[in-house]
Amino acid sequence: MTGLTRRDLIRTGAVGAALMGSGAMASPLDGPRQLPAHLDKGAFAAAVAELRAVVGADWVFADPESTLPYAKSSTPDPRHEHVPSGAVAPGSVEEVQAILKIANRYKLPLWTVSTGKNMGYGCATPASSGQMVLDLKRMNRIIHIDAELGTALVEPGVTYQDLHDYLEANNLPYWLDVPTVGPIVSPVGNTLERGVGYTPYGDHFFMQCGMEVVLADGTLVRTGMGSVPNSTTWQAFKWGYGPYVDGIFTQSNFGVVTKLGFWLMPRPPAFKPFMVRHGEMADVAKIVDAMRPFRMSNLIPNVVLMMGAAYQIAMFHRREELWDKPESIPEDVVRDFARKHGLGMWNTYFALYGTDEIIAAIEPIVRRAFEASGGEVLTEKEMAGNLWFEHHKNLMSGQLTLEEKGIMRWRGGGMVCFAPVAPAKGVETQQQTQLAREILGRYGFDYSVAYAIGGRELHHLIFIQYDKEDPAEEKKADDCIREMITRFGARGWASYRTGVNTMDLVAQQYGEANRALNARLKQALDPNHILSPGKQGIA
Amino acid sequence: MRWNAGRLRLAAATLAFGLTAGPQANAETPPPPPRAPAVVYAKTCGYCHGQHVAPVIRGRAIPTEMTTAIVRRGQRAMPAFRPTEISNAELGALAAWLKAAKADPKEHDQ
Ligand SMILES: Cc1cc2nc3c(=O)[nH]c(=O)nc-3n(C[C@H](O)[C@H](O)[C@H](O)COP(=O)(O)OP(=O)(O)OC[C@H]3O[C@@H](n4cnc5c(N)ncnc54)[C@H](O)[C@@H]3O)c2cc1C
Ligand code: HEC
Repeated sequence: MTGLTRRDLIRTGAVGAALMGSGAMASPLDGPRQLPAHLDKGAFAAAVAELRAVVGADWVFADPESTLPYAKSSTPDPRHEHVPSGAVAPGSVEEVQAILKIANRYKLPLWTVSTGKNMGYGCATPASSGQMVLDLKRMNRIIHIDAELGTALVEPGVTYQDLHDYLEANNLPYWLDVPTVGPIVSPVGNTLERGVGYTPYGDHFFMQCGMEVVLADGTLVRTGMGSVPNSTTWQAFKWGYGPYVDGIFTQSNFGVVTKLGFWLMPRPPAFKPFMVRHGEMADVAKIVDAMRPFRMSNLIPNVVLMMGAAYQIAMFHRREELWDKPESIPEDVVRDFARKHGLGMWNTYFALYGTDEIIAAIEPIVRRAFEASGGEVLTEKEMAGNLWFEHHKNLMSGQLTLEEKGIMRWRGGGMVCFAPVAPAKGVETQQQTQLAREILGRYGFDYSVAYAIGGRELHHLIFIQYDKEDPAEEKKADDCIREMITRFGARGWASYRTGVNTMDLVAQQYGEANRALNARLKQALDPNHILSPGKQGIA
Repeated sequence: MRWNAGRLRLAAATLAFGLTAGPQANAETPPPPPRAPAVVYAKTCGYCHGQHVAPVIRGRAIPTEMTTAIVRRGQRAMPAFRPTEISNAELGALAAWLKAAKADPKEHDQ
């Protein structure tokens, strides 16, 4: 391959157009809707000037060009309801406090992000247009690692890559637990969304211990043991004294979290990854029923991924290699392609951890159960070198990868994640799979999913892939996720988390009493509603 | 262990301070030096590019303005990277490095 041609530039769409000076690219500040609805241009400009005085001119982004990286998102936004007005990036807690003071005065809404890579859920874009992104990426200190207790205290801008490099450089005997997009995302952002990884420490909020929060009025609060003077147990004991409040700062807009503590997994002496291959879509029920007792008893201790074939294929292959029609890919096309690459229709990845003796004792029990479910139980002996097996082996031992980002290319860069919770019961997961396929099929989308299996439930992660550059497709993806949320909701199945475009819709499903409680907390803590209005449906 | 913040920034190869830190920026911690292009490539771009996930971009003499535009805007399936993640100075150096970089036969296309 040589340098890029003019055709390449054209192929790159908006970027190419901008480079060729066509001026065709829409600016995020085109039209008044992108400014906060209640602020006129003059007031906005005055607020921006004050913000510049706090953080320095380089760290306020309030023109179309510099706002572009904040506007990038793969989720559908057919009505342009998630366009930020700009961004401000503080470098310290004091600067955060000074920014909130200004925001209160101007009633300037601020959408807080840590690393802003909430991919599939809106990236850094706000729940409503006109919010200014409060970008905490510059606050990137690893404040404390306790080598004896295996605990970490970090700022919002620290990525899993930073932590990984740090543990390596200092030869510390701990593993990280990473989401599949570890290198470019943060433990703080991920944990506050109650995200997951794939080692025994995979439920991130479960492993969280202590936080520091700036409230809307500037008050600095430390949760748990952290507010005791000279405390040495902030990262050792979660619950503190009196009401436990950490939860209200997750998936919420009640404060700006400036420090987060969490636990690190001691590196086990031995680790053995497994893959169980099942050949039919309908096997989902058998897999879930076989897995449940092992996850409940913790004999299988990690967050297990049960990966659908289409999702796995999309990581490393492009849709055109299998299928060139707009309709959903037929099941047998997926099955055949998967088989050629050593994959089944469902590929379930778990691992055993401990010592060789412990693993040798557990392996036969697990093997028998999964073989009885009709699966082939595979290890490095059979699968070493297989791209997918190696990928999941890395995830289950806390290694960094971005390989799953390949799925974003399936249909031109658009992707939105629908993430309903299912109980760990075969029949219900089977029903969820059926319902999802029926709805996706009518829109011509593919059933591209991963089930993440916790102790007693599964996150059914349904990735709706579409062409973001085609407005008709974008509208279709938006309609599709709304129908999925609504129809799953009618069955009693609701999302564990959702994208900026459907936050209110999901909040409705959790009921009026729940919404009213959140509204009262919000009113008490942030009466001017400056912090991330609309987050999780909280105004 | 308590880590000196300055040392730590180096150890963790963290980020992105511009030349003008704000008036109230942490006075005691000087901005870390920009990361070398090869480091930015290895710790960000190289996880996708050349790993079956995104096209090979080394050895193609990609124009510098093309790289900076794509990194800041994010092209289709690629996320955008902000100046708080990759500073303007780092991105400029990365684009120049990428334009001159030779292909690595160990990388895979797409
Ligand atoms: C292919 C693919 C695979 C993925 N795999 C996983 C996975 O395995 N596990 C998983 O959990 N996710 C996964 N994701 C989703 C997402 O990319 C990650 O959850 C990511 O960690 C979130 O981005 P972030 O860490 O940059 O958080 P941010 O975008 O910084 O934050 C997320 C949200 O949390 C809130 N928030 C963030 N920081 C603060 C703060 N300091 N104070 C108050 N509120 C705050 C805000 O509402 C913000 O919008 C995947 C996405 C894709 C596309
Ligand atoms: C999360 C994965 C990912 C990361 C990280 C990433 N990219 Fe990309 N990049 C992509 C994808 C996917 C494409 C192809 C986009 C498309 O057209 O669908 C792409 C396209 C490009 C292109 C255009 C190539 C072509 O042939 O059209 C350039 C140049 C580029 N990226 C540069 C970079 C640089 C520099 C970095 C690091 C700062 C980087 N990318 C980081 C995924 C990534």
